Amino acid sequence: MIELRDVTFVHENGVKALDGITLKVDTGETVAIVGENGAGKTTLIKHVTGLLKPTSGTVLVDGIDTHTTSTATLSRKVGVAFQNPDHQLFSESVKEEMAFALRNFGFPPHLVEQRVSWGLQLFGLEEYRESSPLVLSGGEKKRLTLACILAWDPEVVILDEPTVGQDAIQKEKLVGTIRMLGSTGKTVVVVSHDIEFLWPIQPRVVVMKSGRIVADGPAPEIMTKKEMLESARVAQPQLVSFYQALARRPGSPFVDALEARRWIEGGQR
Amino acid sequence: MGKILEIEELSFRYPEATRKAVDSFTLDIGESQIVVLAGPSGCGKSTLLRTINGLIPHMYTGDYSGDVRVAGSSVRTTSMRDLAQTVGFLFQNPENQIFMFTVERDVAFGLENLGVPRPEMRKRVDEAIGLLGIENLSQRAPHELSDGQKQRVALAGVLAMRPKLIILDEPTSLLDPKTAMELVDLVARLRKELGTTFVVVEHRLDLLVRVADRIVVMNAGAKVLDGTPRDVLFGEDADGYGVSVPAVTRVQKMLAKDGLAPDDRLLGAAELASVLEGKGA
Amino acid sequence: MMWLSGGFIFRKGTSRYHRLDPRVKLLISALMFVTTLIVRSVFQLAILLAFMVAVAAIATVLRRVARTMALTATFSAFIFIINIIFTRNLETSALYASRFVAIVVSTSLFFITTSPDELEQVMKMFRLPRDLVFAFVTAVRFIPVMMLDALQIMDAQKSRGLELEKGNLLRRVRNMIPILIPLVVNAVVRSGELAEAMESRAYGAVPRPTSLAVYRARTADRVVAIFAVLTFAFAAYSFYFLLPTFLP
Repeated sequence: MIELRDVTFVHENGVKALDGITLKVDTGETVAIVGENGAGKTTLIKHVTGLLKPTSGTVLVDGIDTHTTSTATLSRKVGVAFQNPDHQLFSESVKEEMAFALRNFGFPPHLVEQRVSWGLQLFGLEEYRESSPLVLSGGEKKRLTLACILAWDPEVVILDEPTVGQDAIQKEKLVGTIRMLGSTGKTVVVVSHDIEFLWPIQPRVVVMKSGRIVADGPAPEIMTKKEMLESARVAQPQLVSFYQALARRPGSPFVDALEARRWIEGGQR
Repeated sequence: MGKILEIEELSFRYPEATRKAVDSFTLDIGESQIVVLAGPSGCGKSTLLRTINGLIPHMYTGDYSGDVRVAGSSVRTTSMRDLAQTVGFLFQNPENQIFMFTVERDVAFGLENLGVPRPEMRKRVDEAIGLLGIENLSQRAPHELSDGQKQRVALAGVLAMRPKLIILDEPTSLLDPKTAMELVDLVARLRKELGTTFVVVEHRLDLLVRVADRIVVMNAGAKVLDGTPRDVLFGEDADGYGVSVPAVTRVQKMLAKDGLAPDDRLLGAAELASVLEGKGA
Repeated sequence: MMWLSGGFIFRKGTSRYHRLDPRVKLLISALMFVTTLIVRSVFQLAILLAFMVAVAAIATVLRRVARTMALTATFSAFIFIINIIFTRNLETSALYASRFVAIVVSTSLFFITTSPDELEQVMKMFRLPRDLVFAFVTAVRFIPVMMLDALQIMDAQKSRGLELEKGNLLRRVRNMIPILIPLVVNAVVRSGELAEAMESRAYGAVPRPTSLAVYRARTADRVVAIFAVLTFAFAAYSFYFLLPTFLP
C-alpha cells in the first residue's frame, strides 16, 4: 500500500532529515513509527502524502508515484491527523468542518450529509453539530479531526503523535479507535514517542534514529531489545522492563520475557 | 510553620460558567517538596494553578471564596509584582513565554520588569543559565531552539526571579520520554540544591513517581485523593479518576489479589522483579 | 513574500558593519534615504546605488541586497510605465522609478543588519513608550513562528483536499480562508498566553525597567558616524550644485 524506496530527503539548509529509507507497509497493517523528537518520523509521513517530495528515491502510494501527484489527490487515499488540531479548525460549525474535506473531494451533497452524521455519531460529537469547533475542549478537537478524516473513508489513516496532552481515559479510547480501524481493514500508521500507550496494540514497530530506520519488526520482538531502544532514545514500556527483569533472575521459571508475560497475564501459577 | 502554600476552602467560578471550576479546595504544602497534581482533563487543574500565582484574581475575575496564601501572604491582597517574586509559573507551551530575540535577554525579562540594577541582574541571569546548563545557548534566538531547549530557557527565566514555589503546567507534554526524564531529574536536582517547592501538573505519572513527595488528585474541581505516591497509586480509587496508574503498580495490584505481591509497595520494575523472584518460583 | 523576507528580515552577521552601534547604522541608512531625495538625475542616482552596493559588500550582505534590488526593480518598472503615461517624460519617469529602488535598498540595509534587540535599543533611545517598544519587539520575535504556523496550517488543509495552486483568482482568494482563520485564531490564543506569561513575570511593575544589555558607542562608531555625515555633505553638495553643470 505504501512503499518508500531508498528515500533521502535533504532540507534547504543542508540538513539530511531522511537517509536511505526503505519501507513497505501492506494493506491492513497497523504500524507504529517510534523514535525521539527529530528522528525524522514526521518528515517521513509528510512524504507519504506528497507534502514533501524526496530529494532522491521514490514514494509510492497504492502504486502511484507521489512525485507527480498533488497532496490533495493523495489525501483522498491517505488521511493524516496532525498533532495540532488548532492548525486546521476554521468553520462556522462542527458539521461544516466535517463537510469541508468531503466537498473538496467531490462528494455529492446527500452523501456529505450522510457521512457527516455517521462521523459525528461514531465519535460522540452529535451534540456539537451546530457549535463552533473552536469552543470544543482539547480532547474533543482531537476527536473531531479524526472524525473529519474518517468521514471521507481513506484507505490509510496516519496519526501523528495522537497522545500528546491526552489524559489516561482519552488514551484508552484512542487505543480502542486504532483497534477498530485495523479491524475494518484500514492501514494504520501511528507516529508516536509514547511507547506505553502502544503496547496493548502490539503493532509492527519501526524504530527511527537520525533519519534512518534502525529496527523493524513485531512489537514483542522490538520492544525487548533494550540496548537498541536506549541508543535510539526510546523508552521501553514499563511492563517489558519488568518482564525482562523477571526473566533474567537466576532460578527464574521463565525462559524469556514473553513467557514471563504469559505467566503474569494468564494467571497461571 | 514553614508552609509555602496554604489553600483554604478555595472555590472559584468563572463569570460565564454554571459550575464551579474549583470547589472547596484545601491543601497545604511545605518547603522543598515536589507535589504532583493530577486528574482528568477539565477537572480544574489549570484554574487552580492560576489561583496560586495570582492570575486569578488579578487577571481573571470571577466568583472567588476562600483563601490562598503563599509564604504567608494572601494572594488576593498581594500585587502580581510581589507574587512574581515568590511564585514562578512555567506554562505548558514554552514558545509563548519567551519574549525576547536572544535567550539571555529573555532570562533577564522578569528582572528588567522589576527594575533590578544591572550588576545584580547579570549575576542572577548567569546563575539561572548555569543551573539549567544552557550557557551555550545564551546568545541564540528562540526560534532556533528545540522544544526541550526552549523549555529550559523559559525555566531559567522563572528561576532568575528566585521564587520559593514553582508551578509547572504539564511540562513533559511536548517532550519525548528521554527528554522528559531529563527534565524530571533537573527538577529533582533544583529541589535539592535550592530548596524550591514544585507543584507539577502532569498526566504521565510514571515519570514523576520516583521523585514526587506527594500526589494530589482532582476531579470536578474538588480534591479527591491526597497522599504519598504509594498511598495514592496503590489505593482503590486511583483508576476511577482517570489517573495514569503506572504499569508496574497495576501488576502488583493484580498479584496482590492472589497474595503474591511483595509487602513493600514497589515503584520500580527492577525492584519488583527481584522481589518476585523469590515468590514466583 | 520572499522578497519581503529577503529584504527586511534580520539575519545574524559578523561583519564590522553589523557590529556598528545601531544608531550609526540608522544614521547611514537615513542619510542614504535623504540623498535619494536630493539627486536630480538618473546618472546621479546610479552613482548613489553603486555606493549602496559597495556598502552592502562591506557589510557582507551583497547577495541579499542585490536580490532585493532586482525584485524591486521589476516592481518599479510598473512605476516607470505609469509615469510615462501621465508625464510623457522619459527622464523624470526613470528617476522616480529608480528612486523607489534606492529608497527600498537604503531601508533594507538597516533592517537586515540590525537585530530586533538593537531595534529595541534604538526605539528606547528615542524615548518611545515602553509598551510600544515591547509590542514591536515581541511581534518581530514571533514572525518566524507565525511563518512556521502558516506552513503547518497549509500542510494540514492540503491534507484535507484543499488545492492552493488551482483555480481562478476568486477561487484562490476563497481558498485562503481555511489558512487565514486558524492563523488568526492561533495568534489570538497566543496573545492570551503571552499576556499570562507577562503578568507572571511582573511586566509593568516599575515605570522604567532596567536593561541587561549595554549599548555604548565606541570610538570606531563615532568615527564612522562622522565619516558618514561628511560623505553625505559632500555628496549632497556635488549632486545638487556641481554635477548638473558637468553632466546631463
